[in-house]
Amino acid sequence: MRPDERKGVVAARRDQFPVGMRVLAVDDDPVCLKVLETLLLRCQYHVSTTNQAAIALKMLRENRDMFDLVISDVHMPDMDGFKLLELVGLEMDLPVIMLSVNGETKTVMKGITHGACDYLLKPVRIEELRNIWQHVVRRKFSTRDRANLDIYEECNKPSNADSDHAHGHVTCGSPDQSGRPSKKRKEYYSEEEDEGEEDNTQETDDPSAPKKPRVVWSVELHRKFVAAVNQLGIDKAVPKRILELMNVEKLTRENVASHLQKYRLYLKRLSAVASQQVSIVAALGGRDPFLHMGAFEGLQGYQAFTSSTSLSSFTPHGLINSPRNNPAAFGTQRVSASKSIQTVTGGHALNHSICDANKYHLSSPGNQQGNLGQGMATSLGQTQMQPKWIQEETDDLSTIFSGNGLANSGMSATLQGVTSSPLLPQELVECTQVKVGSQPSVLTPSVSSGHLEGTVGVSSSLLDPRVSQQTTIPLSEFSASGLPIHGLFNNSCATKLGATSSASTPVHPSDDLLVARDTKAGASSFGSTMLLPPDTEQKYLNFGGGNSFKHKFDERTADSLFDLKFVWSSGLSSQSASNIGAHHSISQRWNNSSSNNSNIGARMIGQPSSSASTVAPHAKSDFLISGDMLVPKNASDLSVPKLQSELSSSSCSFDGLLNSIIKVEKDDVSFSDDLGCSDFYSLGACI
Amino acid sequence: MAAAALREQLNALLSSMFSQGLVDEQFQQLQMLQDEGGTPGFVAEVVTLFCDDAERIIAEIATLLEQPIVNFDKVDAYVHQLKGSSASVGAQKVKFTCMQFRQLCQEKSRDGCLMALAVVRNDFYDLRNKFQTMLQVVPYLFFLVFDLQIITTYKVMIDNVCVSCNLKITTLVFLLLKFITRYIMARSYAGSF
Repeated sequence: MRPDERKGVVAARRDQFPVGMRVLAVDDDPVCLKVLETLLLRCQYHVSTTNQAAIALKMLRENRDMFDLVISDVHMPDMDGFKLLELVGLEMDLPVIMLSVNGETKTVMKGITHGACDYLLKPVRIEELRNIWQHVVRRKFSTRDRANLDIYEECNKPSNADSDHAHGHVTCGSPDQSGRPSKKRKEYYSEEEDEGEEDNTQETDDPSAPKKPRVVWSVELHRKFVAAVNQLGIDKAVPKRILELMNVEKLTRENVASHLQKYRLYLKRLSAVASQQVSIVAALGGRDPFLHMGAFEGLQGYQAFTSSTSLSSFTPHGLINSPRNNPAAFGTQRVSASKSIQTVTGGHALNHSICDANKYHLSSPGNQQGNLGQGMATSLGQTQMQPKWIQEETDDLSTIFSGNGLANSGMSATLQGVTSSPLLPQELVECTQVKVGSQPSVLTPSVSSGHLEGTVGVSSSLLDPRVSQQTTIPLSEFSASGLPIHGLFNNSCATKLGATSSASTPVHPSDDLLVARDTKAGASSFGSTMLLPPDTEQKYLNFGGGNSFKHKFDERTADSLFDLKFVWSSGLSSQSASNIGAHHSISQRWNNSSSNNSNIGARMIGQPSSSASTVAPHAKSDFLISGDMLVPKNASDLSVPKLQSELSSSSCSFDGLLNSIIKVEKDDVSFSDDLGCSDFYSLGACI
Repeated sequence: MAAAALREQLNALLSSMFSQGLVDEQFQQLQMLQDEGGTPGFVAEVVTLFCDDAERIIAEIATLLEQPIVNFDKVDAYVHQLKGSSASVGAQKVKFTCMQFRQLCQEKSRDGCLMALAVVRNDFYDLRNKFQTMLQVVPYLFFLVFDLQIITTYKVMIDNVCVSCNLKITTLVFLLLKFITRYIMARSYAGSF
């Protein structure tokens, strides 16, 4: 079934998404840049660095799809960090995170007003970097799915198949119906949104070929819009006056008019739900869903995510993110603000408070506190409460997604309620994603997979090949069993990272190593590969050559072996410069090598032992020698000698290696079984 | 054993650096990154980068302060940069000194800045000396010497093990190799020192 396939694929992809995310780091300080790069690599992102903003811009302009996220220093000699931030935000619409040793409130404020997704203080801690991927997700969801969701909710107003819903909304649950809504969506598009609609690439026919320029209702723009509306008064706000107040060029009255219409609908829905919200929320316990925003564990986290994201999208990212990163700056006020944000459909008043928050005037703490409880309660995964809660809400989206079970419907309802507002692009997108994912995912142990599915489902119906590629690439790396599925990968870098992480070693291949490689090999080869390292004789190379897993060895082996190298290195952390030099040079050569066959793996394995025998001081020359020895044996082997020398050069500790191997063993038990006795006997025979 | 003695020395040096406030937890994070992340030489690289960069910045500041008319904004920018570098590497004392330096820059007092520059320079040199000592000690400690002889003697054992149990082979073998490695390390260090 397509949904199931998609679910599996999405799940796999989703599981891996933060891994392999492509980050561009810009900082004129080489020390900071180096530390940042290492930290990011440790988080298993793919990192590119530059110390000049001009080069960064050039790289970004060359290929928009090359990066998912930009991290930039504030103080740079050639260009102000804020300027770069604006340019990147305008031109590429990428999330940008500011970085500075200066944590003054006004500077942070400046960063946020310029559109930064987040503001980190130096020295950067790795915990903070682990969560930065959410900015990418949030932005992707908001820009891609907002328009679709708007259309969905508007075109799916009639009866809802789901009996839980008080409103009769058509349940467009099955993804198969995506064609229909999309068709309707197109009609709606032509009818309601003539020019200047959101810049979304819908997935179906003629998605991204608008004849008129599209307006992206970014967070900033929306913020300005809301500010203008509030200033004029919600009843008195007319598009013309709003347009004047917003004072944004390239925005037409029609854009504002359609946006205003959606906003009004959203507000109406919110106020309708407010009363039910309060009662339900009060009954539920309290847990800060916001903290679990990034965690897709279980329904609770899931729903928390949706509810939190739904509101979070409504408020500037900076507000939401800063609590985590700048506690000093805003303290609890922010936290409460973000929490209050989480009361998704907290009510009209709440929304207004949130709207006000958009102006960075964090609403009265009292208001927030009150909402806090509501929000937390809402976000809890109480499936029983969910349907009821959802019934109250306007739920256009619910029609789209049919709940398979109570939980599913609960989830869907949550999402629907959350995403009911067309004016909350991100939340819509996110909720939709979550919702779609949640339907099948409820039955699966891992919510993340469900989430992934949702993402895929939505994206399939919606869109952006670029985005889906981005998400799929890292996700496709791992199958449910944890073995990387190289075949799904087009992005070699992601593959590499996936392979690395599959080894479950805290290794981070340097950027050099992220060479494009075909990744067709299964993970099974890794397990079998590990058998070889103990063998010191080169005869085992033959083993590798004759191995039926030859194909599988491929990238996987290379990756795993590299992991081996890193693992070994990590144990003793040799700091000798020569080692480092050897490491890098080897990495370079490794990059150049294009061959991936089992021989490489086998040889690599054989290499370490033989090369390891060389005495350390002469290690470097020995590496080359031993490497050369092996070179003639295999034509396609550039990597092997390099790897081997790499292995020998790096201080070897088997602790990490052991752990990785054990882990791999666990993952690859099935494959290990496949090895069978025959392989081992051949192993013995080779001795 | 020589290796243990060296390790002790290194630990003593590091703990003294921490207690004196020369380095803070960021430096610990860097060490952790290296140890757990399998990036050998990471700390050495970063520390070296920092030392070079700080040297350069201090020289630039000195040049600026020697001008007849001091451009305090530029000085401030440099100090800010130095502060960022030291924060990233965990050089706490230098960072604090930079903060004070910045305040003096705000006051636009040349003498004050010169004084602050002297303090920064002292602190930096002090830290650099300690770093260099550390960098010299560490490589010896963590260099692994792999002796093929040892491995071959165990090869037969390994082969038998391999043949007998398919799934557990890697675990066993590597446990064995771990043991061997440690033995060799101890032997080599005892021999070389």
